[in-house]
Amino acid sequence: MNLISTRAVTIAGFVAVVIAMIVLEILGRRPGSRIPTVGEWLGYLMRPRIGRALILLGWWWLGWHYFAR
Amino acid sequence: MARQDTAPSRDHAGRWARYAVWRRRGGSRWRPVRTILICTGLAAYAWVVATTRPLTGGSLIGVLIPGMVLGAIAYGRPPERIPAPERLDIRGISYWLICLALLFEWEASAWRDNSLWWHPSLTNLINPLIGPQVTKTTAILVWMLAGWGLVKR
Repeated sequence: MNLISTRAVTIAGFVAVVIAMIVLEILGRRPGSRIPTVGEWLGYLMRPRIGRALILLGWWWLGWHYFAR
Repeated sequence: MARQDTAPSRDHAGRWARYAVWRRRGGSRWRPVRTILICTGLAAYAWVVATTRPLTGGSLIGVLIPGMVLGAIAYGRPPERIPAPERLDIRGISYWLICLALLFEWEASAWRDNSLWWHPSLTNLINPLIGPQVTKTTAILVWMLAGWGLVKR
C-alpha cells in the first residue's frame, strides 16, 4: 500500500509540473503577458550559434532516447 | 543567419505586431498542397520508424535521418526564421526556470533510485504510453514537427 502511494506521489509530481508548464504557456500567450512562451525563450536561447546547436542536439537526443533505445 | 536573423526589440504588447511584420516580409507562406504532401510523407516515415525494434540499427537510422536532414537545413539552407526577443523578462522566465528545475530534480531523484517501480522516472512512465504503434507513430511525428519548429526559431 505504501509502495503504491509512493508511486502515485511520484506520478502526481510529474503531472503537476507538466500542468504548470501548460498553464505558463497559456498565460504567456495572453496579450501583454510578461511570461515568455516556450517558442520565445527557446528562440532567445537559439540566438547564438552554440545555443542553436545545443537545443537541436537536445531535440535529437529526445528522439534517440524515446524511439531508438 | 541567412535572411531574417535580427530580432526587433521585445515589447510585451507588440508580440503579435512583430509576428505580423514577419508575415508581411514573406515568412511562411501557406501552400496547402505541399503541406499536405509533406505531412503525409512524414506520417508514413513515422509509421515505418515506429515499426522498428528499439536498440537496432533500423531504429537508430530512423532517428538519425531526421536529425541529419534538419541539421543540414538549419545550417545549410535555413528557412525564414521567426524573430526571437532580444531580452526576456526576468520575472516571467523565472516561472519557467522553477518548473524546469522541479522537473529535472524529480527526474534525477527517480534516476538516483534506479527508477524502481515505486519511484519511476519520466522515461519509465512514457515508454508504456508510446508502446502501441499508433501512439508511437504520433509521438515520432510530433517529435519531427517540433524539430522543424526549432529550425524556424
